[in-house]
Amino acid sequence: MTERAVLEATELNKRYGDLHAVRGVSFHIDAGETYGLLGPNGAGKTTTIAMVGGLLENDGGQVLIEGEPMTVHTLDPRRKIGLVPQDLAIYPDLTARENLTFFARLYELGGRRLKDRVENVLEVIGLRDRADDRAGEFSGGMKRRLNIGIGLLHEPRLLILDEPTVGVDPQSRNAILESVEALSADGMAVLYTTHYMEEAERLANRVGIIDQGEIKAEGTRRQLVQMVGERDRISITANGPLESVVSDLRALSGVQDVGASDGQITLLVEDASALLALALETVAKNGASVSSVVVEEPDLEAAFLHLTGKALRD
Amino acid sequence: MKTIWNIARKDLALRSRDRSIFIIGLVAPLALAFIFNLVFGGSINDVGESVRFEYGLVDLDQGDVALAFGDVMANLESEALISVERFGTEAAGRTAVEDGTVDAIIILPADLTSRITSGEPAKLEVVGNVDSPTGATIASSIAERFSTGLASATDAALTAVATGVVDPTGIAEAAAEAGALPPLATVVDIEAGIRQLDAATFFVAGLSIFFMFFVAGLGVTSMLEERRDGTMTRLIASPIRRSSIIAGKALTSVLIGLVAMITLVITSTLVMGANWGRPLGVLLLIVSAVLAVVALMSFVGGLAKTAEQAGNLQSIVAVTLGMLGGTFVPISDPTSFLGKLRFLTPNAWFLRGLADLSGGSIADTLPAVAVLALIAVVFGAAALSVARRVVTT
Repeated sequence: MTERAVLEATELNKRYGDLHAVRGVSFHIDAGETYGLLGPNGAGKTTTIAMVGGLLENDGGQVLIEGEPMTVHTLDPRRKIGLVPQDLAIYPDLTARENLTFFARLYELGGRRLKDRVENVLEVIGLRDRADDRAGEFSGGMKRRLNIGIGLLHEPRLLILDEPTVGVDPQSRNAILESVEALSADGMAVLYTTHYMEEAERLANRVGIIDQGEIKAEGTRRQLVQMVGERDRISITANGPLESVVSDLRALSGVQDVGASDGQITLLVEDASALLALALETVAKNGASVSSVVVEEPDLEAAFLHLTGKALRD
Repeated sequence: MKTIWNIARKDLALRSRDRSIFIIGLVAPLALAFIFNLVFGGSINDVGESVRFEYGLVDLDQGDVALAFGDVMANLESEALISVERFGTEAAGRTAVEDGTVDAIIILPADLTSRITSGEPAKLEVVGNVDSPTGATIASSIAERFSTGLASATDAALTAVATGVVDPTGIAEAAAEAGALPPLATVVDIEAGIRQLDAATFFVAGLSIFFMFFVAGLGVTSMLEERRDGTMTRLIASPIRRSSIIAGKALTSVLIGLVAMITLVITSTLVMGANWGRPLGVLLLIVSAVLAVVALMSFVGGLAKTAEQAGNLQSIVAVTLGMLGGTFVPISDPTSFLGKLRFLTPNAWFLRGLADLSGGSIADTLPAVAVLALIAVVFGAAALSVARRVVTT
């Protein structure tokens, strides 16, 4: 955590009668960082987001936005948050521009700045050409983009995206993910909930695996994978003295295991990207020629399965 | 305030694109009022035809002409059209009117016979119960018909007396006979007539306030819709107070209500010849009625969990209060249970205020305005507490 995190959630709790929906959830997000909250439906992601966004009163714990406490009653921290709800939260009978203008005014934007921000967001979400069409006439992907655009209007310090790609076509989905990457690169802190493994892997600097209201594990993808004993796999197809190659490879630091069969050498390593160049150099040094290389990094699916005992799609 | 206006402006833009608001707020009340006026307008006073009206007679004259008028009333009573109670003093008669014991009293002045026999104009006074416009109108008609016949008979009798054809005491008989003639002239002071609305105004006013209930419910309904559609989440997530959301929604309903009512007043005046009364008084009544109805319907809608439920509840309340409040037909018997019950409705107070205004001063509308304002305050407070429950994700 940097000197002051953009978001710091500590020991959040929420009960609905007998259901303990969120149990002691803690995490933080720094500027320019994307935090993925990964979990199946009903895991407590949306409830956590609702407490972080000041929509829902918590039964315990604290949320700080750049050091300011966020509750259902506080207004100032809300100016620093851009919330993109899971369900489309737009007015279909208003045009894209009218939707953006209305919400911009709620964030006290006015005059020249309001116009500039609306135009800028229309550009970012790719709806400039359709700005004066009613949102109800848009495709699903365009509506999603407008939904996200509203959250960007006031240039928040923290952008909260709750499953923003649900029901979106692949093209729009990719556009959304690219936008999130760009925003994060610009220094925005992003809290991204999803139950799509590949989105968490692509976007998140750190991932919190949540299930049954609890953060089961948290860290970078590598940390999570290592936490459950998974390793990167490098498969090298080569011709030459493979036995000596295997022997030299086994001696390299970071190599867990090496095997060879039918002209293919398989290495299990801690970090494939760090070892790949050295491994290929070792193969070449032994007089073998490489015809193909495949690097497989273990995904979060295995980590998730290990931590929660169930596949994410459950 | 900026935020409240921003929300109201957005809702107004949305509603203006929804044609139903024009149908509910303008087209339907005008069209129905026009139809009602065509069907019932010419015979609005017949609405209570099957009802037996209670009248009081204050005979301060005790002369021959007064006796003749008493005979006219007795004839009508024998036909079971009316019942007549006699009062010894004008004060007793007026008390009976105010209490609602009688629909109207007819006061025969002390010098009635002497003025008639000396050829001077005489004046019969009718005091009507403001809550029984139909009964009061019929009393006025009876008095008018008698006095009209009396006037023409007097002219004839005076000529006859002057020429020695008829004994002056026979004038009463002539007058009684003339009482059955069609009206030729008016010599009575019809006090009750100034406190009732003409048919066109009554129907437009009644239907306007009735449809106002549907328009007024839009604010709270739209809150439930925003919750259903997910936009409420976004409103709550923004740096605005939840009370501003409620106020913005209420402002939308009030503005739509005011515009619809004022448009109806202007249109019905120009197209149907409705006579609403002094503009300032009408405006006071409209503002207080709109506030009352918005508060009431916001409370009712706030009890529901979904927009659909709210719509159903509001419709039930609107129709019930419309029927009770005499929106569709005037309730002729103010002393009946229904007659008393109607003053639990904003509809009845609005119509009463207009009736008071139609011949009186703006000050006469103040009781109705005060009651409507009270309804607005009481239900406004109740609505605020239930509406907070609606402003959630």
